[in-house]
Amino acid sequence: MTPDILWAPFIEFAFMRRALFGSVALACSAGPLGVFLILRRMSLMGDAIAHGILPGAALAFWLFGLSLPALTAGGLVAGLGMAGAAAWVTRRTGLREDASLAALYPISLASGVLLLGLAGRKLDLLHLLFGSALAVDTTTLYGMLGTAGFSLLVLLVIFRALALDSLDPLFLRSISRFGPLAHAAFLTLVVLNLVIGFQAIGALMVVGLMMLPAAAARFWSRRLPVLLPLAALIGAVCVWLGLLLSFYASLPSGPCIVLLAGAFYLFSLVAGPVHGLLRSTSFPMTV
Amino acid sequence: MIECHRLQWGAGRHPLTPPLDLQLAVGSLTAVIGSNGSGKSSLLKVLAGLDRPLAGRVDVGVPRMGGVAYLPQQQLVDRQFPIRLAELVAAGFWRSRLGRSERQARMRQTLKDWGLLELQTQGLHALSGGELQRALLARLSLTDAKVLLLDEPEAALDDVGLDLLWQHIERWQREGRTLVLVSHNLAGLSQYNCDGLLIARSGCIRAPIRQFAAERQGLGQVA
Repeated sequence: MTPDILWAPFIEFAFMRRALFGSVALACSAGPLGVFLILRRMSLMGDAIAHGILPGAALAFWLFGLSLPALTAGGLVAGLGMAGAAAWVTRRTGLREDASLAALYPISLASGVLLLGLAGRKLDLLHLLFGSALAVDTTTLYGMLGTAGFSLLVLLVIFRALALDSLDPLFLRSISRFGPLAHAAFLTLVVLNLVIGFQAIGALMVVGLMMLPAAAARFWSRRLPVLLPLAALIGAVCVWLGLLLSFYASLPSGPCIVLLAGAFYLFSLVAGPVHGLLRSTSFPMTV
Repeated sequence: MIECHRLQWGAGRHPLTPPLDLQLAVGSLTAVIGSNGSGKSSLLKVLAGLDRPLAGRVDVGVPRMGGVAYLPQQQLVDRQFPIRLAELVAAGFWRSRLGRSERQARMRQTLKDWGLLELQTQGLHALSGGELQRALLARLSLTDAKVLLLDEPEAALDDVGLDLLWQHIERWQREGRTLVLVSHNLAGLSQYNCDGLLIARSGCIRAPIRQFAAERQGLGQVA
């Protein structure tokens, strides 16, 4: 394999360049968010929100056609509504949050699919769910770069509060009022990243880009300052290789990226130095 | 000074005790005792402003944020969280205005005081229960809070750790900090000059802790 193969499509085609820059940027912000989702025991939240985005995006498509600001705004409102509704049900009724999320997201998915059907016009559902590199035009690219930059900036500001709130929420509440605010800002970032990612990578696949690198990174380090950039790096490399795979094999880009991330996760699960299967001594061997 | 006026608290809608009127002087040390489920930890959370009282009011006499420090029960801390002991302890500097070098010096001294210097680069997952407890107490000693609320500070500590804890409690008292702690260790507490507050359904009783220890037989009936 010559290095040329690794770069050529991006040099030759502007749409590949846009997909690469946009998705790498998104991987850099989605990975660290995924690490915090795992640390906050909210791993399924991303999945549920991604489903929740769908009816909002479908409604926006029905009303305004294929316009990025409208789709983004619709997805954002629906995603935040989903997270808010789950939290509200939990607070009011004591139903566990994962259960209320699991109850809400089939409703969202079904109503999204029905709304798309009602819209009548042809918006490829598969495209919406699983993405296409071709969909990244200049506006989308700027949206992705802006979202990634904004997310990393906000994450930097709320980092300490978010970490302490995950580790020891009562202590944080006793010394600062910032905890709930940091949590809300964090959830907004998760929704924003999922919404902006669904154009290029697909509403459902972008969850993979958020969670898989984060889950894989956990097998390589026990240090939060290492985990965050590591998840971003793993995501970025998977985006790059995934886009190449998608280009050469003429496959949808989202699943290529996510499957590569999945392969790296499985590799980490086996070979990772922190509780990887090969290093693990937790299973006593009996003769 | 901490003042409670007709205070009632509890996890559900029903208060755990009759209304409580309480005044704790600056620099005092009060041990909250009582049987399981009597509402000791809940009272501490209400004092810390983490839970709302069902009725009545609490005045801690200092700003809640920064003026009050709370030691949670250690099982509420996520042991798998990927940070090192020193990073956990450093959270005690949250509201501190100290400069970098002062922080480093104070950090080092605090780790030394709690016998944690060699463990500072250990991850939380590798700590024993007692070591984690010392780390949580070390974090508390970095705060400048005037009111310290400790939920089972003795948990998991060995004899050396207990000595360190009581040395610190005495030091905090000398510094004019007001302490309230929840404990089950009546016999241990009775070695120290400490006020007691018994929480029970029939009502709360305040007396020197030695008196409760002496009446231990009777305590079972009251609680």
